Amino acid sequence: MLMSSEIQTFTEKYDLLGCIQCGRCTGGCPVTVRANLNVRQFVNDAYDEDKLEELARLAEIWDCTACHTCAVRCPKGLKPLEVLIGLRTMIVESGKVEPTVRDALQSVLLEGNPWEKSRATRLDWMEDLDVKIADPDEPVENLFFVCCTIAYDPRVRAIARNMVELLNKAGVDYAFLPEDESCCGSEVFTLGEEGLFEMQVEDSTEFLNEYQAGRIVTLSPHCFTTYKTHYPDLKSPVIHYTQLLVELLNNGKLTWKGELPKKIVYHDPCYLGKQGNIYDEPRELLKSIPGVELLEFERRRERSLCCEGGGGKMWVESESKKERLSETRIKDARALGADVVAVACPFCVLTLEDSMKGLGLEEEMRVVEIMELLGELMEK
Amino acid sequence: MGNVLVLAEHRQGALRDVSFEMLAVAPGVAEDMGGEAVVLLFGSGIDDLAKKITEYGLKVLVVDDPAFENFNAEKYQMALSAIIDDLKPSVLMTGHTAQGVDFMPALAVEKKLPLVSDAVGLSYEDGTLKATRTLYSGKVNALVAFKPADTYLVTFREGTVEAPEPAAAAEVEKLDSPLKEDVPYRKFVEYIEAEVGDVDITQSDVLVAIGRGLKEDKNLPPIEELAAAIKADLAGSRAATDAGWIPHDRQVGTSGKAVKPRLYIALGISGAFQHLAGMKGAKTIVAINKDPEAPIFTVADYAIVDDMFKVLPKLTEKIKELKG
Amino acid sequence: MKTFVCIKYVPDTSEAEVKLNPDGLSVDDSRFSFDINDADNYAVEESVLIKEAQGGEVTVLSIGPKKSDVMIRMAMAKGCDKATRVEDDRIATHDPLMVARVLAGGIKGQEFDLVMTGCMANDDWHMATGVALAEELGVNHASMVNKLELQDGKVKVHRELEGGLLEVVELDLPAVLTIQTGINEPRYAPIRGIRQAQKKELNVVSLDDLGIDPAEVGTDASQVVLEKLYIPEVESAAEFIEGEPEEKAEKLASILHKGGLL
Repeated sequence: MLMSSEIQTFTEKYDLLGCIQCGRCTGGCPVTVRANLNVRQFVNDAYDEDKLEELARLAEIWDCTACHTCAVRCPKGLKPLEVLIGLRTMIVESGKVEPTVRDALQSVLLEGNPWEKSRATRLDWMEDLDVKIADPDEPVENLFFVCCTIAYDPRVRAIARNMVELLNKAGVDYAFLPEDESCCGSEVFTLGEEGLFEMQVEDSTEFLNEYQAGRIVTLSPHCFTTYKTHYPDLKSPVIHYTQLLVELLNNGKLTWKGELPKKIVYHDPCYLGKQGNIYDEPRELLKSIPGVELLEFERRRERSLCCEGGGGKMWVESESKKERLSETRIKDARALGADVVAVACPFCVLTLEDSMKGLGLEEEMRVVEIMELLGELMEK
Repeated sequence: MGNVLVLAEHRQGALRDVSFEMLAVAPGVAEDMGGEAVVLLFGSGIDDLAKKITEYGLKVLVVDDPAFENFNAEKYQMALSAIIDDLKPSVLMTGHTAQGVDFMPALAVEKKLPLVSDAVGLSYEDGTLKATRTLYSGKVNALVAFKPADTYLVTFREGTVEAPEPAAAAEVEKLDSPLKEDVPYRKFVEYIEAEVGDVDITQSDVLVAIGRGLKEDKNLPPIEELAAAIKADLAGSRAATDAGWIPHDRQVGTSGKAVKPRLYIALGISGAFQHLAGMKGAKTIVAINKDPEAPIFTVADYAIVDDMFKVLPKLTEKIKELKG
Repeated sequence: MKTFVCIKYVPDTSEAEVKLNPDGLSVDDSRFSFDINDADNYAVEESVLIKEAQGGEVTVLSIGPKKSDVMIRMAMAKGCDKATRVEDDRIATHDPLMVARVLAGGIKGQEFDLVMTGCMANDDWHMATGVALAEELGVNHASMVNKLELQDGKVKVHRELEGGLLEVVELDLPAVLTIQTGINEPRYAPIRGIRQAQKKELNVVSLDDLGIDPAEVGTDASQVVLEKLYIPEVESAAEFIEGEPEEKAEKLASILHKGGLL
């Protein structure tokens, strides 16, 4: 049940009075083609305290993918999507969430990851690799945080495994965090489990600050943006791995074997581009590969189309039967004549590849995370 | 005196499979214990059921009492308590079923007798009765030994052994009903058949799940035929529900439902991590997929690498034949 | 309505490789995730739903180590009022009859209308504890319950039988019910609720505190001995069925038939 004090803070918390109802949020929202979601309307209606509970029960609050297009477009600097997250919080705190969401959140609390995997198996991805593990007593320039999805989903583990091989070869001062590392909370935040997220920020800040890291390197844009946006007390700066690799590239530490005569189109992940403001590094890496012809989507950079992997959507299925945005994206790539769709986000790999297979294009195209591609091109 | 008493289970006028399966185990154990296997049957107007069991060559003790028209745990416990005192069997065995588990633990407490539940094997060696059980999703077996007792109680898992072939006919012996008083506390009301219509796959016993390998919905009939033959509900991967081949509420996976059927047959499902997470609770997993590298095979118990449409018709035909 | 709900903290072994400890009598659970036993989670939800509908009090009862407190706090976050956790390594936990005796010791002497627990534990699969507990307490019971209706000193329950058939029976209260999964949809325990539940009473007790003679519930009292654990020869790894498509189909059909899966 809602406390009246919480209702009062809802308007303040999301600065609802700052909204001028210009509609740029809904106008840019990629989900509107798929679902009956009008974020401007929610910002308008949420001002009425008596309506909050009713709004929170609307199914479309779960359609938001937290891509942040609305926030990027808002002339007042508001984050309309967070109103939807605030409504999700009301549902989460009542306990009456979808079982899939319930299980993911509970797994974060108990095991430190949303995939219902044992914490003790978090480092299994390292099997047979020579990995340097971080020690709080030893300063390290690049402290790596491996995303839960990369650590546990075999489909995207290569992102971390290839990274280790690349780092070892390039002689980089690095270390990976031990199994005590916990989920960054990106999806916990967007699913609206505010209390759990606050706890994660507190606990992980303390955990990460124990290490003497020059910087924290993230493999997933979700972890990257979450640390940068929601962890104000981290001692070390946070970067995305593509930033590190471009440094290595510029220092001549990365060389590729042979050529890759492919047409590659790069898909800007929302959490890396719109939210992390990193657009050029992934492209530079792709362009550094001999033979690659880099294509561009019409909708790119801050206008990039969301793949619908974020915002907790890995655990909430949309009611909509309309074409998935990831399918639209693959069709666009196909129309461009791309052989490869390259991304820099584990969620984008999963959603785009799924649609690519769904369209029966397995023979014609590939969806890869940049680290997968680089792993194949590394001199070993 | 070494006798193994097997309580035959029946429901709505038919003997349950486990009743016959136990007959594959009980005689051997009884012989090793120096006694014989005897079948016990409770019911009302059950001459035909009794006769059917006698075909297996074991003596059948029948308690024919209107009070036993329907199963009632309290009455079963009361009657068995009296029969244990009377006949002093060395072993009393029932199915590990919704009936058996409903009274055997209480009977064990009442009579201060040892119980091993969900046994999948039973043997008598060097004066000790031992039972095999399975633990931890069936990944570990346990060997459990009974300490000496007057009567050992065992509930035996259904579907573990094959029923023996019928042998020479044996006799039926009527016992007086041990129920001397009515049982006041528990009242049978009715049976309700499982609802047909909309299916909740989280409650399904058997699931046939399809994935992208279906290609198009006109390929559904052989899958539906298999499902009908094994009384399975249909489910699907996200790809299958997305394509509209299967209703959305039957999607298995992290964004769909977590299922835990006894048998899960995955057809043309590659097995993304997000799908595997939703079906890991299945007891037995069968996967048919063209791709030998499909991750579904890492969790499958039985695997066929092939075009499912080449396998399905024969599979369904053979299953129908085996089920008679 | 005064309810006790008995719950257990169990490892999830569905995906993990299971290895035995050198003693051959226990499994190495260091790599498993742990959670409330599936069916017990439904029992907790049912107890909370009853409390929400009729008022009353729900007490959680569990036997287990300190690390299971998080499970108990979650149950209290959902609405259970207080808890008792029995921590004592003298209990013969391999024998559900001993476990039932300890649970009974945690309930006896207190007023109750209902005791609920899951119908089966995911680790040892006994399906025996709840029914044995009813006998220890000297009250009625029904197992495998997937629906219940309370009515004036009675409870009408649906028992789930094989093949989806339901058996409806009526019992006088007090009674022990073993709850089948699917009876409801267990809610989520939000962190803020768990934090608030820190204020609720959680008593950690030993056998002595409960007035139970350890000799009555230990391995000497148990009439069954766990001789050994072993990994069965049939590995969980897939058995690949070879041959022409039709041969494969026939072989698979026979395997399923022999395994009692049809």
